[in-house]
Amino acid sequence: MVSENASTSPTLFSIERLSVAFLRRRQSPFTAVREVTFTIREDETVALVGESGSGKSVTALAMMGLLPKYNADIASASRVVYQERNLLRNDDEAWRRLRGADMAMIFQEPMTSLNPVFTVGYQMAEVLRLHKGLSAAAAQARCVELLDEVGLPEPRRALARYPSQLSGGQQQRAMIAMALACTPRLLIADEPTTALDVTVQKQIVELLKTLKARHRMSILFISHDLALVGELADRIIVMRRGEIREEGTTETIFSSPRDRYTQALLQCRPRLDEVPSRLPTIDDFMAEVSAEPQKRLESAEPSPTPSSQGERGDSPPLLEVSQLKKSFFKREGLWRRHEIPAVKGASFTLRRGKTLGVVGESGCGKTTLGLTLLRLHRATGGTVRFDGQDVLSLSDEAFMPYRRRMQIVFQNPYASLNPRFTVGQSLLEPILLHRMAVGRSAATTLALDWLQRVGLDREAFDKYPHEFSGGQRQRIALARALTVEPELLVCDEPVSALDVSVQAQILNLLKDLQAQLGVSYLFISHDLAVVRYLCDAVMVMRDGEVVETGDVDSLYRNPQSVYTRQLLEAVPRGRNQGTA
Amino acid sequence: MTAYIIRRLLQMIPTMLGVVLLLFVLFNWVGGDPAYILAGKMSNEAQIANIRHQLGVDQPAYVQIGIFLKQIVTADFGSSWSTNEPVSDILKTRLGPSLTVMAPLMVLGTLLAIALSLVVARLRRSLTDRTVMVACTVGMSVSILVYIIVFQYVFAYRLGWFPVQGWGDSLWTNLTTFAVLPILIGLCVGLAPDLRLYRSFVLDEIDQDYVRTARAKGLSEMRILWIHVLRNASIPIVTCVMSSLPALLVGSFLIERFFSIPGIGREVLLAVERSDFPVIKAIAVYVAFATMFANLAADLIYKAVDPRVELK
Amino acid sequence: MTEAILSSVTTVAEKRGNGFWSLAWQRFRDDRVGLVSLVIVAAFLVVVLLSATGLVAGNWNQEVAIHDAPPDLWGLLKPAAPAVVENAMHQEQVTPTAESIEEWKNIEAMLSATVVDPLADTLQALGADHETVAVVKEKRASLPFGGDRWGRDVLSKTIKGSQTSIIVGLSAALLATLLGTVLGALAGYYGGRIDDALNWFYNVFSAIPYLLLILAVAAVLQQRGVTTVILILGLTGWSGVFRLIRAEYIKHRGREYVQAAHAFGVPNRRILFFHILPNVFHVVLVNISILAVGFIKAEVILSYLGFGVKVDEVSWGSMLNDAQGELILGRWWELVAAGGAMALLVTAFSLLTDAMRDAMDPKIQKAS
Repeated sequence: MVSENASTSPTLFSIERLSVAFLRRRQSPFTAVREVTFTIREDETVALVGESGSGKSVTALAMMGLLPKYNADIASASRVVYQERNLLRNDDEAWRRLRGADMAMIFQEPMTSLNPVFTVGYQMAEVLRLHKGLSAAAAQARCVELLDEVGLPEPRRALARYPSQLSGGQQQRAMIAMALACTPRLLIADEPTTALDVTVQKQIVELLKTLKARHRMSILFISHDLALVGELADRIIVMRRGEIREEGTTETIFSSPRDRYTQALLQCRPRLDEVPSRLPTIDDFMAEVSAEPQKRLESAEPSPTPSSQGERGDSPPLLEVSQLKKSFFKREGLWRRHEIPAVKGASFTLRRGKTLGVVGESGCGKTTLGLTLLRLHRATGGTVRFDGQDVLSLSDEAFMPYRRRMQIVFQNPYASLNPRFTVGQSLLEPILLHRMAVGRSAATTLALDWLQRVGLDREAFDKYPHEFSGGQRQRIALARALTVEPELLVCDEPVSALDVSVQAQILNLLKDLQAQLGVSYLFISHDLAVVRYLCDAVMVMRDGEVVETGDVDSLYRNPQSVYTRQLLEAVPRGRNQGTA
Repeated sequence: MTAYIIRRLLQMIPTMLGVVLLLFVLFNWVGGDPAYILAGKMSNEAQIANIRHQLGVDQPAYVQIGIFLKQIVTADFGSSWSTNEPVSDILKTRLGPSLTVMAPLMVLGTLLAIALSLVVARLRRSLTDRTVMVACTVGMSVSILVYIIVFQYVFAYRLGWFPVQGWGDSLWTNLTTFAVLPILIGLCVGLAPDLRLYRSFVLDEIDQDYVRTARAKGLSEMRILWIHVLRNASIPIVTCVMSSLPALLVGSFLIERFFSIPGIGREVLLAVERSDFPVIKAIAVYVAFATMFANLAADLIYKAVDPRVELK
Repeated sequence: MTEAILSSVTTVAEKRGNGFWSLAWQRFRDDRVGLVSLVIVAAFLVVVLLSATGLVAGNWNQEVAIHDAPPDLWGLLKPAAPAVVENAMHQEQVTPTAESIEEWKNIEAMLSATVVDPLADTLQALGADHETVAVVKEKRASLPFGGDRWGRDVLSKTIKGSQTSIIVGLSAALLATLLGTVLGALAGYYGGRIDDALNWFYNVFSAIPYLLLILAVAAVLQQRGVTTVILILGLTGWSGVFRLIRAEYIKHRGREYVQAAHAFGVPNRRILFFHILPNVFHVVLVNISILAVGFIKAEVILSYLGFGVKVDEVSWGSMLNDAQGELILGRWWELVAAGGAMALLVTAFSLLTDAMRDAMDPKIQKAS
């Protein structure tokens, strides 16, 4: 365990009473970080954990002197001490000598964080030539070493590549190599794996662990994912709304968290090893939050179509898909059209009142599959039978009744509601279009009823989407889809864009609504833990093909394919499993 | 790459035919019977019929389009209706003066605007920045006519620093004496809009993540601006410059007119005044074709400066 | 039927103060430069309204003063006795290098020979007409903004000129934007063959440089007048809007709220105009403004060249044409009046456009 020597080693960085406020027009300044104090020891990995708006990234940027000068106001009592100097007093020149040399930083989006028009080699050599004064040739040689060290295949050729020619994981490796070029004492990693697939995430985390051990540097690892952080941190600092809630070693944070928010973060997140019937939400831990949508939901009137299906998979099939194919076409050469298959023949069955999870990494075709089912994309081949009817062969007009019976909820709650419509308008349109209610007042009553069922106030009716948080918007999108009482609801990553604590609320809501309405879900997700919590059956996809299908319990317990096993192994477990 | 160029060239054909059709409709349909324009006031039936026959306008429409296409391919548009000078001669002799003014103007204007836009972008949110931007807006709002009238009056008539107008035979005299004031005016008129545009390109880049990375590497602000930001901002700038290249050929109508520079722009104005259709038609067709090739070149250069671009 | 039912959905819109437009207005109100510009543009519009109804500047075509009456700015400038003024002007202010009036006349003669003035003939004809017009009995010796060479009031001419400019600018901008928006929306939303066809149309139009296209149309039309100018500018100027709106629709048609509407089976026409259009309307609005500015400038140039308004109409362009000859004789006021009025309007309009764009910028919206 690294933590042994880390707990005794001398302090490298100490952050004392750091407060950062952002100046706003016509409004009082917004305090993003308040009185934050912590230390980073030599050869130690410290993790800053928190949900969006917790101030974790702002803290890191302040330590690097990278906050924008025109609107960020750092309180005068704040200190960032390194080598007995308060860095916040630095002038631009002094900052520049430190950055890239003593302290380096990597970011969430490797694609945009690298300059798109310069080669990887050029960008790396820049640091070496600046801080070490190396010649072009020497810098080049060192770059090859570095790229080799971070495990980029064919380092010599990779030097001449542009960032867009590398995959996401390779880009992040290149970023890490660039950050390590001058062997810094501290590496700040700001959500370095959030934009990456789970298997790539595992590789990057392993790489960081290896590099840290080899170079004896300190890492400040920033993440929203407590389970991930548990795999590599010596110490964890939990932040919320700009303040530190709790600080402790990884062991204590996981085994005996004192703070209720930390407890909530640990419990809200679905896990692979245990499946509760219902996820605890942040409200169960935090008394200070007043809204309790779940209670209201339960008190809502009984559903019009209560589910009467048996418990196990013997309900009649609702959706039978066979050999569904979808390709996109791209021009290539002079005349040829190059076929890019997105879904290469998917077959599965979804039973009434059940949930089928579709799992896979980005680009595996799971979203395309969902859109093609609903005829939002034109299928290239195969059949989709909904309630016995082949819906792909229907005319647009004949398909119209099925538009009511099959609905969808999208990933991004910020894009899925028309920003120029009030919530009421968004809900009334499907109600009136499919004649779910006769007359305006009846339609309005129905819409208000649905708002209540998803746990929102009546006042929401006249508001615009931008007045709601991400979780609330996802509730609105859910209500909109449910107004037409669909039998099938395709949920395309409905909780991926949300914070952990909000995820639990939405997942619970989905479960409750299914129990009440008997609706079937096709639940598309990259998150294996979430799928395990919510689904009855799972289908694993890779490169447009179905790798494996099966009942949730048996598939998770006994995966048949190598790929499924890799996926499952890559999911962060949340405990420090020791450094190799 | 080659396949891309070939396909783009093939795609140009319908557009070229469209341009031909548009001009044909404009001049042979909307424009009325050219015979009446040509014959002028003293016309009798026989004369008109004769002219109509000569021009081929008594033929059916498809034959006339054929004639037009043949003219384009052979570059033989007959002769000007008003001066009887062959149209091809007009094009050849007028191109030089236009280029003499426009080429230096474009090079100087672009360099000046790029340099200034980087300086101004650095000063973003400062009072200087706002003042410069408002000054640009005011500068753009004054009519180009006012610039020309005032500059000509002040610098040529009153102060006598430059000749009022005229054009010589030697390129050197033209460049050093006759073209100086026109270029100066062109710079004054063009700088404000270019500066505003390029500044917006630079500002689009300055907030990108890679700039933050560059700072995190410890690079100086100068290096970030002149190397990292400029290289990215140059992509839209190059596209802009390329798409304005055809203007080289047309020259500036007004400047050429005021300073009596015998360029294409002045020729167009004269032709419009005299309803000299063959000249306008010929210039419009060739400039349109040049524009299409310039657009293709712009896309190829785009690919060269931006490794992300895939040619489709 | 469905349309009728659905149309009632849209009526609920904007009853609360938190819609996009009220938020944009709240941001706009903070922008002092924008507000001042709005006031200036509004003032111009009021003047145009007054002059269009004949309440103001109705007598712009009458010789109310002696020819080349100097400006007095309602008494702020103090012009000397008229006869003396002309001599003084010629000798002291205007021609410090020239020794006699004769010399200046030579220069003017040379100028009119070399600078081709397309209006020269018609203007002379007009001048001839003027001689037969009943002479106004008492001519003023000076005017607030001075008089032109027939003694017409420059202030009235400037006001009438703004009427022409603004009417041409706004009408042509509306026409071009309407064309560009409808075509761009159809091309961007439907894609495929419709897009190919409209894109071909766009490519053809944008292949010919704009000013050349305008001049070609002007040459062909052989007609002058406000309506002709509006048509020329409007019918040739839509391509920029087309490109922008098409790109916006391509962007929006992939957005999830549009997909959601498709999933409900909302008809295409409704998605086009009720779902997406309000989301791109700020682009449309900014473009009307940008085009109006461009068209005002273009109209001035066209009228200056004699391809714009008729000779019995007045425009800042035709005023500048007059002013060019007058400047050589030291009569600067018509140039200043026409050039200044145009600069003021266009500056205010452009700053207003910037303020509008800032207020409606979705990026700024997100940050707040």
